Amino acid sequence: MNVKEYILSGIVESYILGLATETEQQEFEVLSKQYPEIAQAKLDFELSLEAQLMRDAIAPPAAMREKIFQSLDTSPSNIAYQETEEFETPVRKMNPWKWLAAASIILLAGVAYWAFSSNNKYKDLQQANTELKNQLDQSTARLSELDKTAQTLQSPYLKTATLQGTAQSPGSFANVYWDSTTKDVWLLVNNMPAPVSERQYQLWALLDGKPIDLGVIEPNIWQTKLLVKMKNVQGAEAFAITLEPQGGSASPTMEKMYVMGKL
Amino acid sequence: MGCVTPSAFHCNPLLNAKSTYEESELITLLKQKDNQAFSYLYDNYGGALYGIVKQIVSDGEIGNDVLQEVFVSIWRKIDSYDSSKGRLFTWMLNIARNAAIDKTRSKNYQQSLKLMPISDNELSHPIIRPGYDDYGLKKVIHKLKDEQRMLIDLSYFQGFTHDQIARALNIPLGTVKTRLRSALTQLRTMLK
Repeated sequence: MNVKEYILSGIVESYILGLATETEQQEFEVLSKQYPEIAQAKLDFELSLEAQLMRDAIAPPAAMREKIFQSLDTSPSNIAYQETEEFETPVRKMNPWKWLAAASIILLAGVAYWAFSSNNKYKDLQQANTELKNQLDQSTARLSELDKTAQTLQSPYLKTATLQGTAQSPGSFANVYWDSTTKDVWLLVNNMPAPVSERQYQLWALLDGKPIDLGVIEPNIWQTKLLVKMKNVQGAEAFAITLEPQGGSASPTMEKMYVMGKL
Repeated sequence: MGCVTPSAFHCNPLLNAKSTYEESELITLLKQKDNQAFSYLYDNYGGALYGIVKQIVSDGEIGNDVLQEVFVSIWRKIDSYDSSKGRLFTWMLNIARNAAIDKTRSKNYQQSLKLMPISDNELSHPIIRPGYDDYGLKKVIHKLKDEQRMLIDLSYFQGFTHDQIARALNIPLGTVKTRLRSALTQLRTMLK
């Protein structure tokens, strides 16, 4: 073939400018490898075209540079994503660090909530514990009191007087226990009306027809004691409770007798 | 050369001290997705590619979009570039030309043209939709005979095949080829 004619046919320019057909392109590529003159002609045209277009350059708007580089997203971690994005459904992949950060925040919130609720629970438990302790103290005190009462009542020498309500107070009822060896006197009030202010109940023993003062009963004593120890007495035929002025009286006010019973 | 708009990441003039690359070196770095090499590529060839885009696409906004597409394509397709077939610039030039021609065929572009006033000159040559009509390569081909200039315009700047041109101008396909080849050889002598 005539290489010079081929070069001057316009095929070089057609090829470089992208105007040659597929067949012409393939032929040109084969021939330019075989004939250095063709390759040289190709390079010459490329260089002159390039030079012309470089002279014709139009500076793109300054903002384009940043815009283009942003659209490239050239950071290395994104290259793999860039290359596969055309073939995959564009599901946004989350950076592992973001996952980790999100997980940390959730964990932190969880721990904070746990600490908050734990603290509340702790306070609740502490309060409940205090209440229980108080109740236990009260119960223990009450139990030891009952224990003492039981011991007292277990004494084989104990005698009981059941004091029934008088016409003054028919619903009232009380028990007096007297130990024949120690001469101790114990009072158990089952039911008596609360005394009016400035008044106190007073226990009396009746021996040989005479009243003996066994002491006044402190108001509200029943909240802590089941059995109240009164004054000793050598012996008694009967016991009675009268309502007396604050501090008690030397002799009972008979018309204010609430209960009475024989030993 | 160098930075048009210095920005901290892509174009630090101090870091980006290298102002020239051997073409083979540049290609190797581009295939490694080297940021600086790509920066250099844009700064050196962005204007020339923008120039050819502007000669095909008349609308400035759309021209900007095309330039962006061109550089995204270069970035993505650099691995397929084969230096035995031609220089890097030739490869990029073809990407730019194809992207611009594709854009002129899009619906959006056709609509944007309808909004533009049409001059008498364009009415007499309805196929020719010039961008920068009297600039660069187009200015060079103005020196050719009208029929030769039109063939280069239709084929190179508007992307019509020889067959389409033959039918549109009602001349034999062989004649289209011969006249175009002749026009191109003249273009070569004008570029020298």
